[in-house]
Order: sequence, then C-alpha cells, then structure tokens
Amino acid sequence: MSGDSARPLVVEELTKDYGSVVANDAVSFTVNEGEVFGFLGPNGAGKSTTIRMLLGLLKPTSGTAKVLGADIQDEAALTDAKRRIGYLPAHLGFEEELTGETVLDYHGEMKGDTRRDEMLELFTPPIDRPIREYSTGNKRMLGLVQAFMHDPDLVIMDEPTAGLDPLKQEAFNEFIRDERDRGTTAFFSSHVLSEVRRVCDRVGILRAGALVELENVDALLHRSGKHVRVHASDDAVTAITALDGVVGPERFAEGVQFIYAGDVNALLRELAAHDIRDVELGEPPIEDVFTHYYGSRAGVDEGDGGEQKGDEPDGTGEDDV
Amino acid sequence: MFETVRYEGKRRLRGAAILTAGVGAYAGFIVWYFTVLEGVNYEDVFRDLPPAMLEAFGIESLSTIEGFLGAQVFNFVWLLGLGLYFAYVGGGTVASDIETGRMDIFLSLPITRSRLLVEKFAALLVPMIAVNALGGPIIYLFVVAVGETIPLDNLFLAHLLSIPFLLVCAGIGLAFSVAVDRAAIAERGAVGTVFVLYLLESVVGGAEAYDWIQYLSPTQYYEPTPILIEGSFEAIDSAILLVAFVGLLILSQALFERRDV
Repeated sequence: MSGDSARPLVVEELTKDYGSVVANDAVSFTVNEGEVFGFLGPNGAGKSTTIRMLLGLLKPTSGTAKVLGADIQDEAALTDAKRRIGYLPAHLGFEEELTGETVLDYHGEMKGDTRRDEMLELFTPPIDRPIREYSTGNKRMLGLVQAFMHDPDLVIMDEPTAGLDPLKQEAFNEFIRDERDRGTTAFFSSHVLSEVRRVCDRVGILRAGALVELENVDALLHRSGKHVRVHASDDAVTAITALDGVVGPERFAEGVQFIYAGDVNALLRELAAHDIRDVELGEPPIEDVFTHYYGSRAGVDEGDGGEQKGDEPDGTGEDDV
Repeated sequence: MFETVRYEGKRRLRGAAILTAGVGAYAGFIVWYFTVLEGVNYEDVFRDLPPAMLEAFGIESLSTIEGFLGAQVFNFVWLLGLGLYFAYVGGGTVASDIETGRMDIFLSLPITRSRLLVEKFAALLVPMIAVNALGGPIIYLFVVAVGETIPLDNLFLAHLLSIPFLLVCAGIGLAFSVAVDRAAIAERGAVGTVFVLYLLESVVGGAEAYDWIQYLSPTQYYEPTPILIEGSFEAIDSAILLVAFVGLLILSQALFERRDV
C-alpha cells in the first residue's frame, strides 16, 4: 500500500467550475491519520465547495479525491466509507417538526450510535423538544452529536463552532484535541484564525477557490501578526508606525490601526515611551491577513456563494500579548 | 433496511390523517346531499349541457348513489383533487430537502442516492394508502347510514385502481423535484402539468382529429364512474399507468444521480 492510499484524505487537483465562477481551482492536499487539519479561508473562498465534493454532494469538474481510501466518484465505495465518516454541514437542515431524539434515533439506525450518550453529556441540545424551537447553538450541538455518535475514523466539519457560545466552543476545542489523541482524524473549515490556532496541527489556506498555502500553525501565526489599534497624539502615531513590522497603517481621527508582525517587545517599549490614551491588541481578521500577506483584497469574495455570510470574523477580540 | 421509509413515513402521518379526514368529511356531505336531491329529474337538469361538459365531469347517471359518488367524489376528489395533491407533495420531496440543506445530511449517511430516492418516494405511500384504505370504508359507512347500498367489490376496485393513477401523479412531481432547485417551482410545475393534462383530456376528447392527445394524460387511464356503476375497467389501463410510473421513477433516479445537491 502506498503512503497516499493509507491517508484518510487525499485531494488531487480538485476543481469545480460553475461556468461563471471557479469555486475550486485545482485544490490539492492530504490529511494524515490522527491529525487535526484546519481549512482556513474567508467567507466565500470555496471551503464548503471542497467539503461538499468530498462527500459526493457535488460532482467535481475535474480532479479527484480519496476519502478513507474511497474515490469520491465511486458511489458504492464512498457510501460504504460513510459508515466511518462523521459530517457536520455549515447549514444544519434538520426536520423542524421532529424532536432531536427522533433525528438521532434515525441516525443511529443508519450508522450506529455507540457514543451517543457520551456525546449528549458533552453537548446538550434539548433532544426531547421539536427542532423548530432550537437556537442556532442547539442545532450546532445536535449536529456535533450526530457527527460523532457512531465513533467515526474521519470527521469532516464545515464551520463547526458557528453559533456556539464561548464555553461550548472551548468544550469543542478540548473535545477535538481528545479525539485526536484517540486517533480520530478531523478536517474542518473555519474563517476564524483563533479557532484554527487553538486546535489544528496543520492548516490549508483557501482563497478565491485556490489553495494558497499549506503550513503548520506556528508558521501561520508568525506570519499573521497582531492587529493593533492605538489612540494617541499625532507625534506618537508617527513614531509608532515607523517601527519595523508595521504593515498597512490606517489613520483615523484619534489614532491609527495596523497589523504588527515584528517583535512584540519592541512594540511595547515604543508604546510605553508615549502618552497613549487607549490601545487594543488582538488577532487580525483573517481577511486582513490575506490582504497584507497574499496580495490585494480583490477576489476574496469570489468563489462559491453558498457559504454563510452572516458571521463576521471575530478575530479582533482582546488577546494575550 | 427501510429505515428511511419509516423515518420519512412518520413525517407523513399527520398529513395523511388530515387528508383522510378532509376527504371523508367531503364524502359524508356528498352522501347526505344525495338524499336531499332524491326525486330530482336529472335528465331534465342536464339535457341542455354540451356533451363535452358531461364527459368532463363524468356525469353519467346521477340518480343512483354510485353514479352520484362517481361524479361528485371520485371524479372531483380522486381524479382531480388527489391527483394534484400527490403531484404537489411529490414535487416537494427532493427539492425541499435540497433547499433546506436536509439533503446534505441525508447524503452524508451510508445510503446511495437511488435508494434514498426510492425510500423517500415510498413514504408517500402513507397518505396514498391511508386515504384509500380508510376513505373507502368511510364512504361505505356513510352510504349504509343513509339507507342506500353500493356494491362493495366495485367500491374496492375504484380505490385499488386509483393507486396506479396516483403513483403517476406523484411520479410527475418527483421528476420535477429532482430536475429543479427550488421546491416551490417543482411543486407548481408538477401541479400545473397534471392539471393541464386533465384539461387536455377533457377538452380534446370530443375532437376527433386531435383525440390522440388525450392518451398523454394519466386521467385517461382511470375512470372511476364506470367502475363504481358496472365494475367495468380495462386492465391495460392500469398496466399503462404502472409502466409510466416506473419510467418516471427511472428518469428521476437518472437525474438525481447526476445532479449536484
């Protein structure tokens, strides 16, 4: 058996051309067994298109992929492999009039439910209630339960934490790390840098349908820098923006904001030397990372329009320095 | 085996109950109305109507309970009403799942597309069988209650032979459902198609030069009134409907296999 065929996910030159737009352009990558792989990119980059091709929901225009050894064009093989795959779609279309319990019963009959009770202790949707009464977070939790309840070898998730409250997001991150330690392979998409940073071993970055970078998380973080927003006098702003590592400073009435990719200590020393009215340090929105490191903003919003546009990147929050 | 039929069938139970209750109530009203009209000379009432209209409404002998039920219940409800209803729900089966994202979850399960389609369609048998298996006895009880009689075997046949017809209507819906992206369009397309075919059959039936057009309509192959009155039917008609249904199912599967969801 060659190295590639033993890997849970092997994607080769996968292309989806809708005519008016190329949602995926020759995307290639592999995911190793027992790895957490983050599929990162802004909204509309084509992440959902890749994921939906991997599950046989969309037919690729060209290229191929193997999921747990099954060719995605071979329906019988892929159907068989789905017993060992968990899937959490971005948009959770459950039968609104049914209770969560009825839905889980059906999923259990179809693919098994050895870990159902365990999952329901961790994620707690109100399963005796009709799904129409669920909040977004409850639906997401029900989706997580069904994705893991049959103890799959490979889990494919599209924006798994969208709509989860911060505590449940933390629970999810911890759960994914534990799953990896048990040998489960996880592949998930996200447009939130901090989420990927916390749990992923490796990251693939998709932009306007094309894979622009495959790297480990440390390298990504090193490149992504900090988002800095300073309220200070004009003189102070001039001195601060003269530092090495300041990228794309934007002045506003009371100060300046920029991405800082240099030495954090140098930035803090410079800040301490001036009278600063206010300062915010945080993770840059992923769109800004792309803008500053991979070129202009143009093209960011191309790709498939099927992804949810509702969630704004939340990477600008406060962060440890 | 058949987990999806059970799952989807459960979701159809409520609709089936409401449908059966509605049809039963209407049949009850018609049976009562028959007793009110007793003594009216129908030949006088309908003498001036054009033959095409008599044909269209299946008015043959309104003075007997069989003829009256055939015209007022079977021709209106089974042929037109239920035909349109099953075209409508057939149109919603796949397209609404795709529209709401449910299809993503269905197809993430270890089930092939063709099997999923067949099982989802099979769940439509719940309302189809309920409205016939319960509707028949309800009609019979109403008829007996007003002191009339109706041949049981004829009534049974009228219900049984409606199944191939309703399968074709639902099959037209299914074909629309896999061919288009939006449930509303699939539903309207299917209902419109069945209704236009019904009209064509009714209108063209009298014009000899174009009478071949009537053979395109499924309504041509199910005539409940003669079944109720004389127990007469052509087995070939039901065979044609079943073949058409299988054709629609195969077409739908081929379309569903190829499409993105």
